[in-house]
Amino acid sequence: MFSPLQALPMALGALLRNRNQAALAVIGVTIGVAALVTSMALGRGAQNALNEQLLAAGANVIVITSGNYRMDRGVKPDPEANIGHAAFDAGALPEAGRPRLMLAAYTLGFTARSNPFAGLLRQVHEEDDPMEMHDHPLAKERLGDMAAGLGSASTLTREDARALAQQVEGVKFVVSGVHENARVFVADSPEKRQWFTRMHGTEADLPQVRAGWVISAGRFLSPNDVEQSAQVMVVGRVVADRLFGEGVDPIGKTLLLWNQRFQIIGVVTSKSWTSQPVAGDDQFDAVYVPVTTVHRLLNLGKLNTVTVTTTSVGENASVTKQIIDLLRERHGISETQPDDFIVTSLAKQALGKGLPPELAKAVGGNLERIEELTVEQLSGSLSRANQTMLVMLGSVAAVSLLVGGIGVTNLLLLSVTQRTREVGLRIALGARQSDIAAQFLLEAVLLSLIGGVLGIAIGVAASGGLEKIFRWSASVSPMTALAAMLAALVLGIVAGVYPARRASELRPIEALRHE
Amino acid sequence: MPVVSLQNLKKVYKLGDNDVHALRGVSLDVEAGEFVAIIGPSGSGKSTMMHILGCLDRPTEGKYLLNDVDVSGLSADELAEIRNRQIGFVFQGFNLLARTSALENVEVPLLYSRPVIPPADRRARADKALKAIGLGDRRDHHPNQLSGGQQQRVAIARALVNEPTLILADEPTGNLDSVTSIEVMRILQELRARRNITIILITHEAEIAAYATRIVAVRDGMIISDTPNVPKSLLDDAAAAHAASV
Repeated sequence: MFSPLQALPMALGALLRNRNQAALAVIGVTIGVAALVTSMALGRGAQNALNEQLLAAGANVIVITSGNYRMDRGVKPDPEANIGHAAFDAGALPEAGRPRLMLAAYTLGFTARSNPFAGLLRQVHEEDDPMEMHDHPLAKERLGDMAAGLGSASTLTREDARALAQQVEGVKFVVSGVHENARVFVADSPEKRQWFTRMHGTEADLPQVRAGWVISAGRFLSPNDVEQSAQVMVVGRVVADRLFGEGVDPIGKTLLLWNQRFQIIGVVTSKSWTSQPVAGDDQFDAVYVPVTTVHRLLNLGKLNTVTVTTTSVGENASVTKQIIDLLRERHGISETQPDDFIVTSLAKQALGKGLPPELAKAVGGNLERIEELTVEQLSGSLSRANQTMLVMLGSVAAVSLLVGGIGVTNLLLLSVTQRTREVGLRIALGARQSDIAAQFLLEAVLLSLIGGVLGIAIGVAASGGLEKIFRWSASVSPMTALAAMLAALVLGIVAGVYPARRASELRPIEALRHE
Repeated sequence: MPVVSLQNLKKVYKLGDNDVHALRGVSLDVEAGEFVAIIGPSGSGKSTMMHILGCLDRPTEGKYLLNDVDVSGLSADELAEIRNRQIGFVFQGFNLLARTSALENVEVPLLYSRPVIPPADRRARADKALKAIGLGDRRDHHPNQLSGGQQQRVAIARALVNEPTLILADEPTGNLDSVTSIEVMRILQELRARRNITIILITHEAEIAAYATRIVAVRDGMIISDTPNVPKSLLDDAAAAHAASV
């Protein structure tokens, strides 16, 4: 073998002299490598997204909901309990008459303060006069536990949450929650921009529970905010976009909720491609305020939910059992009585996320006890499905690589034919068979490596593009790039062996006579 | 000691079912500094002789001693080394690499030398060889920018660059007009005169053979005559004097 230092410029020169065909062969390899990189990126991205989803959407999340209206426990839900908005004294007038009386009173020009029917409307707060400006929650907004659907069914308290955090083993984060629909307004805006959304009263640890979140601007609520029931708010991406327009930084702006001023301190959005913020979703079309602030302003004391994460996904079952035992004890529930709360693992949602809705429904519907599957089983079967996809994508890439390799072989065979005289001359001037073989092999490897570099560049770009356009998750790791380069190198060697042998076995006399 | 010694050389080709006897027992000794013209019509076997002399082909029978080494038994790689170090080829069709500068063309044999020659040395030696045949100012020209005579001179420089003991010129003037043919012959005469290089020239033109010091006529695979010749000298006085003094 002669030194590669000499051979390299020679091979490069030969490629440059045949640059048109070389370009075609490079394109072939480029396509193959790009396909390989893209499919590996998609496969990896899908795997990442899957893991993310499993953790984000419930693999280790357990939700405890106030009340128990499950049919199988023999306690039927009270339809009235969830309606709320009981503005009137229930006993004062027959149901149908109340709103009419209210309307009549306003039509007659009475304000709430001077209303002669005020005695009948005992529960109507004077500030409920629609003509009046006020800066605090309306009475109908200031629900009270009963009206918030937290009445007799409402059983969970922040003390329960604290006890869970302290006494249940295997619990990592515990977050209290109060959830309401609410209308938020942009403060001090003449056009009164508003948006009807979900309001979550929550605690500082919520982002730890929602692994699929990213705080895209500002910060989340702090423990201090919660302790002081501060009037600060973290808004979901959708709310920020709807109220301020896309790309506008809402940090430091003020929103009105129940006529109270809340300063925006952060924006939360999804980091996962399978759950993009959309209007109407529960997480990003939502505002987050300290649970204590909600309690203070709405005159509440109970919680809708307590959300718990386990330290390791395998402990869901044991943690669930401990939670039930502890809460039953705290709530003084006797052996024969049903729970006054519901404990749900989010495994079903975790499985459903990222699947087309019909498929998710079919899976959830047909696998009734799916939440009892261990997370390991779940993630294992999803990983296998993902691997199948990866193998399929990989075979497509392999075929395109093969085609690229055939392109290189073809170019070199053509090149050997075209350069037969040159080969003969080189042999006459003292080149050994191995020199000739090395030259063609080096050309093949060079072509493939150039194609490899271009292919990786295109593959990275394509992965990025797919991620942007189709919101697919794609991730090119350094290992992927390295593997692609290696594939290109091997491709070059394999593609070059046959032409190199053909060239090195040319007989110089005939080669020199070749026209 | 002769530079070249052919001893009862035979070469048989298989052409289908027929054996073609290209050489039927050729014996020839060439001493150092000789300028031998092998002349013969096409099909006479002179090209086969050329290939065997150039170590591009092996005889079927007989011995070929080059500088006292029997090359008929050497391996392919050993033959490659001999071609590289001891033989300089000049072809009828020049055989320069297209789209490659004159200098780089001259460098080609050095690429295959063992031990490896550093690029700077290769460049210097190629440059020297080009200057020696008067093409120092054309080093960066590509073959298509050179005339036929100039191309053949680049090829001669390439043949000289590894300082071989033997130059094999196969119809070197076949593609040239008579004026440039004479120019090429003058260079060959000069090389022999100044450097005492042994030259074997193959041609079918008696006029070209007339510039050699010895004329070997070949026909039907055999040498039919081998006569010394007083060459038509193309050298200027200084070179002629130098030649005379050798």
